[in-house]
Amino acid sequence: MIEAHGLAKRYGSKTAVDHITFTVQPGRVTGFLGPNGAGKSTTMRMIMGLDKPTAGTVTVNGHPYAKLRRPLAEVGALLEAKAVHSGRSAFNHLRALAATHGIPQQRVHDVIELTGLESVAKKRVGGFSLGMGQRLGIAAALLGDPKTLILDEPVNGLDPEGVIWVRNLAKHLASEGRTVFLSSHLMSEVALTADHVIVIGRGRILADTSVDDLIAASERKHVRVRSPQAGDLAALLREKDAQVTTPEADVLEVTGPDAASVGELAAAGRIVLHELTPIKSTLEEAYMSLTADAVEYRSENLAGGAGEPPRDGSQAAGAHLAEGPAASADHAAEPHPGRHSADTVPASSSPEVNDR
Amino acid sequence: MSTTTLDAPEARTPSSTVPVKKVTFGRLLHSEWIKLWSLRSTWWTLGSTVVILVGFGFMMAIIAQLFTDQMSDMSAEEQAATGGEQLFTAPIVITGGYEFAALVVAVLGSMLITGEYSTGMIRSTFTAAPHRLGAYFAKATVLAGVTAVLIAVSLALAWLVTYPILDSNGITVDWGDSDQVRQLYGTVLYTVLVALFALGVGTLIRHTAGAIFTVVAIFLVIPIVFGIATFAASQVSWVLDVNKFLPSIAGSAITPAAAQTPEVLDPWVGAGVLAAYTAAVLIAGAISLKTRDA
Repeated sequence: MIEAHGLAKRYGSKTAVDHITFTVQPGRVTGFLGPNGAGKSTTMRMIMGLDKPTAGTVTVNGHPYAKLRRPLAEVGALLEAKAVHSGRSAFNHLRALAATHGIPQQRVHDVIELTGLESVAKKRVGGFSLGMGQRLGIAAALLGDPKTLILDEPVNGLDPEGVIWVRNLAKHLASEGRTVFLSSHLMSEVALTADHVIVIGRGRILADTSVDDLIAASERKHVRVRSPQAGDLAALLREKDAQVTTPEADVLEVTGPDAASVGELAAAGRIVLHELTPIKSTLEEAYMSLTADAVEYRSENLAGGAGEPPRDGSQAAGAHLAEGPAASADHAAEPHPGRHSADTVPASSSPEVNDR
Repeated sequence: MSTTTLDAPEARTPSSTVPVKKVTFGRLLHSEWIKLWSLRSTWWTLGSTVVILVGFGFMMAIIAQLFTDQMSDMSAEEQAATGGEQLFTAPIVITGGYEFAALVVAVLGSMLITGEYSTGMIRSTFTAAPHRLGAYFAKATVLAGVTAVLIAVSLALAWLVTYPILDSNGITVDWGDSDQVRQLYGTVLYTVLVALFALGVGTLIRHTAGAIFTVVAIFLVIPIVFGIATFAASQVSWVLDVNKFLPSIAGSAITPAAAQTPEVLDPWVGAGVLAAYTAAVLIAGAISLKTRDA
């Protein structure tokens, strides 16, 4: 169980984590989802007592990390950056960590075997591939058979077989009643592994919900209708409480009724249809719209004003959200934190970013 | 929200079959011991320390041999004028390379911690020992112990290697002379203090190159600058005053090198001054370690 209350971290003038409150429950895999620079790693480092929070508290199994007497038995962590001396062998690295807790050498061999590192255990870590480094990090995390696991981007650099192995491992550990907190910037990864998801963007919690609910929310469909009598149809649909937008002339995007209902309504109103297409947004799109105004580094910034710092560019992007985040409207832990950025929009830049 | 799944798993806390004990200073020492010996750089630095001390000792012994050969050709008055008796004592010969050995040991001390910061290992260290200071003082203890044994063994080897040459010239360690004995274990103490000083500097600076540069500047460059200054302006008293309180000059008061330095503190006062500097740097390092983000 991980509990954070009003947790905040500032680096100079930059706020990495902005007073977030969340609980990670045992017995399930909790995904920690957010774009690069959203504050995931900073939050995880604060949980591990590596970075000192500017404000707020965070406890693991009821205690601040620094107060734990047997930390490796409570929490195992794979942190984003390699946390291994490159000149030491994997075996000696694990042996040195194990020694701090009097963990027997047999356990070192066990985790090496579990993570499939037998063939390279005696080699120096400096020559490891990213995937082997990740496996070693997971081995270190499992060393003390901890009640809570914190995995920062665990599938980074792993081959497909390794990715599936990590997924199954995370699920298995959670099924044993452990707390598993796993970060990723990929919605699809979290959807496959996690039961619950905390979405973070620009240091704020955007959503704290079950993965099922997030998927359900993302599956809100709309219907694309092309008609020479689009105006008449729109009026009819609005009478039936459907949401209608007009992305281009003679085209309607209808949210609410399904394609069949729209077709029947058009027939009843004697309206000619040229196109009637049900459109289903994907999970990835739900996530994109959820974090659209919270992305720290976006490539589209190049379209903005020359020489403008990236922050301003992404704030401008926030202002251009046409409909607002689809899922966060229902599930945001706090009412639209991302929207605040719209206050400081520079008038000049107008990158079109939400047409995905 | 699927809250229904929350309560059931919480009831059955996972039962671990892995015996995990509390973190103690003894276990941290064991961990640091494993860490030290599992790096090649340790073997390199320790090996070069032995080579330096034995090599310099041997070289000094040969110079002493040549010197006494020359002395024997001189008349009694000329011999008295050179003051040759004091120029080569056995401790001076045996500890001939002590300054370089101290620098190598300083590199080891710095890298003990900067190596962890530069590779990210420090995060693993602090994850296992979140109190941080335990791991830091375990490092310091292992470093001090290993340095003391290393220097003592190296000096013993240097003594063995130079013994045949020195003995034939009548220069041997007078084990009854408390000054000579103190100079020998004083050299061990000096290098231990320098190693710990470097550990503190490394903890403050966190970068290997920066830490080593700083230690070399303090223990090698500044003394040379002051050496020239004391030579050029030996009548300016403050230069001499500052000079004798420099970490390396003060610390050397307890080594045989004190005899070759113009004005030095009393041996134990000098060692105390260096110990005070080392303690200050170690404490500053501890504060930095405890308060800064890893």
